[in-house]
Amino acid sequence: MESLQLSALDLRLGLMAAVLAVMAIAFHVLTGNFLTPENLYNMAQQTAVVGIVATTIALVIVARHIDLSVGSVMGFVGVLIAYLQYTAGWHWIAASGAGLLAALAVGMYQGGLTAYLGVPSFVVTLGGLMSFRGAAFLVANGKTQPVTDPVFVMLGGGLDGALGILGSWALAAALAALVAWRVVQARRAKARHGVPSRPLAVDGVFAIGLIVLLAAFTAAMCAYQLPGKTHGQGIPVPVVIWAAVVMVAAFIVRRTRFGRYVFAIGGNPEAALLVGIPVRRVTLQLFLLLAVMITIAAIVAVARLNAGTNSLGTGMELYVIAAAVIGGVSLSGGSGTVLGSVLGALIIQFLDSGLLLMDVGIGQRMVIIGQVLIVAVAFDVLYRRWSGERLA
Amino acid sequence: MTSPEGAPLVELRDIYKAFGGIHAVEGVSLSLDVGEVVAVLGHNGAGKSTLMKMLAGAYPIDRGEIHAYGRPARITNPAESQNLGIETIHQTLALADNLDAVANLFLGRELLTPWNTLDDYAMEAAARKVFAQLNPNFRNIRVPVRALSGGQRQVVAISRAVYFNARVLIMDEPTAALGPEETRMVHELVRRLKAAGVGIFLISHDLPDVFALSDRLAVMKNGRLVGTYRTADLNEDDVLGMIIAGKRVTRVEQRHRKVVEATT
Repeated sequence: MESLQLSALDLRLGLMAAVLAVMAIAFHVLTGNFLTPENLYNMAQQTAVVGIVATTIALVIVARHIDLSVGSVMGFVGVLIAYLQYTAGWHWIAASGAGLLAALAVGMYQGGLTAYLGVPSFVVTLGGLMSFRGAAFLVANGKTQPVTDPVFVMLGGGLDGALGILGSWALAAALAALVAWRVVQARRAKARHGVPSRPLAVDGVFAIGLIVLLAAFTAAMCAYQLPGKTHGQGIPVPVVIWAAVVMVAAFIVRRTRFGRYVFAIGGNPEAALLVGIPVRRVTLQLFLLLAVMITIAAIVAVARLNAGTNSLGTGMELYVIAAAVIGGVSLSGGSGTVLGSVLGALIIQFLDSGLLLMDVGIGQRMVIIGQVLIVAVAFDVLYRRWSGERLA
Repeated sequence: MTSPEGAPLVELRDIYKAFGGIHAVEGVSLSLDVGEVVAVLGHNGAGKSTLMKMLAGAYPIDRGEIHAYGRPARITNPAESQNLGIETIHQTLALADNLDAVANLFLGRELLTPWNTLDDYAMEAAARKVFAQLNPNFRNIRVPVRALSGGQRQVVAISRAVYFNARVLIMDEPTAALGPEETRMVHELVRRLKAAGVGIFLISHDLPDVFALSDRLAVMKNGRLVGTYRTADLNEDDVLGMIIAGKRVTRVEQRHRKVVEATT
């Protein structure tokens, strides 16, 4: 292990990716239509909303906080964005901007109470869970607000909300180039500073694996053709947005002071204060970042439904937190990854879709997914105990 | 930062601190010269850690003045203390256990690239040099520090002071959790820093440590300074007497008492 410089973290993510692959194959064998372009397309698109919020909920939990209000706030912001377009006649960009401001105000309020007044985030956001669901009703008095702007609707996927074949391959090629460039650049920077790199073969295998996965995904998305259309769909817009959010969140975690401080606060809040980290400000900023992600998710969700309804996002907090936790975020704080939240969200979606294809009823599905959450965390506890001794 | 000739590195003047109704520090004055080691002694709750935490910027002072290098200094948070060249090795070490040694060395003061992103490789390269200097056997600098031994964790905490060129170092119980080998390493380091002109406040319960390292010692009891003495003028019994009784037991009195005890 030492010679390959594989951390316990890499191993855990690798293991989760393997679980995902085994699940996909098992469901395909059982149902015969799990690994079809159509199912993959729909699953990717359906996971996006939960996945977008899960990236940042993961960081909130890393910093030893929680946000139970994400579903309600998303409902509130979503209805507001739809209301401003449908009833108030605003352009969708202005409406979305207003939605962002509302979300930031909520983040300022809840994050401020948590960071500066020291009210536990569990309590603040439990209150928010109820209040903002109520606010979602009050915005339009409970009336459904349809949205029709063709550009806005594309953001939610749907008939025309995909990149098409050419666009998809162009994006995939750009991302592949980015992956390759990152590997080369990282090795050069290490060499310049006299820091040892891991063997070229290891970096190469990782990069090529990632690029192959990307190509396979793009091919599957391009192979999906809606009835009455002459071309394949390509990568759905919500997935593109999700991918962009993941890259931004991963960048924040790995390359910015803010990201490092979030982990330091989660690892040892007292130490963070003693070394001069502005703990309160970082905590508030974290809630504001979450507000941005909630707004993006709200836009995608409303565009996907073609309407804002006051029940939008009901119960979503459970899926989002479950995705982060299945993805290896520790509720005791200090550890977790953005990529893990992606895999966690996909595991839940795979399970849900696979069981649905097997004609398992909603009751049984909920029972199973709930228990899988516990199995994942129990496994995580054992894994940490083991890796803490052997690898750390 | 240069100081006027002869001015102490740090001067605490008539410092007060209360938590609620409890007076943790009351009217304490203490100074530290270039290349001097001043031990701060006292029972638990005597106020020595509170006093040092004010200098480190962890608590704001209620009343009093801090002078650094001959000038009045404003210390209201840890960053301001660090900017004055004051480094602190807290008793708890103040390490984020989930981060590696490199990240902990630079925690709060990360090196950045021209694009304001973390310059991870520059930090790793710099950290390797500092760690190699402190303990050549310390190699696993890229694993979370929770996996390290007590001595290695101590090295990480000390490395901050070395890397950031401390002019004043506060060490709160630096050897309390260490074995003999690692304690020796800390002693060596203190002597090296002292020779380089660094002033050190040493909080310790370990009297052999105090006598081996300090030039002067300050004894506190119930938030007040009992007195400040040259270490060479005292023996361990004198010091213990002051810590327990809260007043100076002079050697004359002591001898007198011994005579009295012997005759009765």
